[in-house]
Amino acid sequence: MKEKILLSIITPEKVYLSEGKVDFVALPAFGGEMGILPGHISFVVQLKDGFLRYSSGGEDEIFAILGGFAQIDKNKVMVLAEGAELTKEIDEEKARQEYQKAKDALSIKGADIDLDAAQAALRRSSLRMKVLELKSKRKKKK
Amino acid sequence: MASLRDIRRHISSVKSIKQITYAMKMVAAARIKKAQNKILNSRPFAEKMEETIKNLYMEMEEEDFNRSPAFKLFEKQDKSNVGVLVIITSDKGLCGSFNVNVLKRAVLWLKENKDKETKVIAVGKKGRDFCRRLKGLNLSMPYELVGIFPKAGYAHAKLLAENIFKLYENEADSVTVIYNRFKSMMAQEIICNKFLPLKRRFLEFQNEFGENKLSDFDFEPAKSLLLSSLLPRYVKAQIYKILLESQAAELAARMNAMEAASGNASDIIEELTLKLNKTRQAMITTELNEIVAGAGALEG
Repeated sequence: MKEKILLSIITPEKVYLSEGKVDFVALPAFGGEMGILPGHISFVVQLKDGFLRYSSGGEDEIFAILGGFAQIDKNKVMVLAEGAELTKEIDEEKARQEYQKAKDALSIKGADIDLDAAQAALRRSSLRMKVLELKSKRKKKK
Repeated sequence: MASLRDIRRHISSVKSIKQITYAMKMVAAARIKKAQNKILNSRPFAEKMEETIKNLYMEMEEEDFNRSPAFKLFEKQDKSNVGVLVIITSDKGLCGSFNVNVLKRAVLWLKENKDKETKVIAVGKKGRDFCRRLKGLNLSMPYELVGIFPKAGYAHAKLLAENIFKLYENEADSVTVIYNRFKSMMAQEIICNKFLPLKRRFLEFQNEFGENKLSDFDFEPAKSLLLSSLLPRYVKAQIYKILLESQAAELAARMNAMEAASGNASDIIEELTLKLNKTRQAMITTELNEIVAGAGALEG
C-alpha cells in the first residue's frame, strides 16, 4: 500500500482533523507554500494566513488557516493554527458582507471604534474572500 | 395579623421568584455542558503547543536564548513600579459568591502591593464596576473586556493577550491574574497567579527518555525566531483556557446558587401556605363562635 500522511489540524477551539490519512498536504509556510509528500524530512515551520490544501484519495479539500505553525515528523503532520475554517463551510454572501463591514469600520476612523478588533475582522474576512476566489477559479477549470 | 389577601399576594410573589430562579438554574445547567466541552476541546492545542515549545527550548543554546526576543517574557530586565492585575469576573450577578470571592482576593492583592502603581484589566462587568468604585488608590484601568460570557472565544483571548503584552512591554514588570477555576460542579477555586514573567521552571524539564525529539529537525524560520513567535501563542492559549475555566465556574456557581434559591422559595411557600390555612381556620372558628353566641342570646 502507498504510504500516507497522518494530518492533524488543531485550533484552540476545536480539533478539525485528527490523524486523517491524506496523500499530499500543502502548507502556507512562512517563506512560501510548502508541499509535503510522505517521507518528508522532519520540520518545524511557522505558518502565515493562507490556504492549507490536502488531497486524499483524489479528493481535494481546502482549509483557510489563520497563522500558527506546523510540525512534520515521520509522516505525521500536525498543524497548530489560531483559526481554521473548511472552505466548504464558508458562506459566500456572509463573507462578502463581513468584508465590506470591516472595511467600512476602518475607513470611518471614528474615535470610538475598536481599531484592533476591526483590523482583526478585516484580516479574517479578506482571507475568506481569497479562499472564495480560489474556489471559483477551480470550478471554472473543471 | 396579616389578612388572607396579604398572605395570598405574598405567596404568589414568592412563586414567581421561584419560577425565575428555577429557569435560571436550568439555563445554567444546559450551558455548563457546552462550557465543559469547550475546555476539553482547547486542551489538545495547549498540550501540543507546550510540548513543542519545550522541545524547541531544549534545542537552543542558553546564550542564543538569552539574546532572543522571547527572553523578555521570562525575565524583565528593567524593574518598574507598575504591576498589572487582571481580574476575571462575570457580567451578570445572581451567581452566589462567585464575584465576591474574586474581588475580595483582588482587594487583598491591592493591599499587598500598595506601594506599586496598579493597572487593572477588568474582564466582566462586575469587576469593572467594582474597580470604578474604588477610590484613593494608585490605580488605573487601561483596558476592559465586557460582555464576552457565556460565549468567550479564542478571539477574545487574543484581544486580551495583545493588550496585556502591550502593557507588559511598555511599563509593567509583572502581570497577575485572579480568576475562578472550575474545580467541580459544586466547587470553584480562587486562583491568584503571577502570569508574566513566565516561569523558567516550565521549560526546564527533562524529556522522559532523556533525548530530544526535535534534534534532527529542520526549522523555518530560525529557532529563536520561531520560539519568539510561538511563546505569545502559548500565552494566548493559556489565557483562553483561563477564560473558559472562569466561564464554566460562573455557570456552575450560578447553577448552585439558583438551586439553593429555588429550594428556599419552596420552603417559604410551604410556610406561607400553612400560615394561610391557619388564619383561614381561625377566622371560621371565630365566625362560628359568634353565630353560636348570637343564637344563644336570642333563645335566652
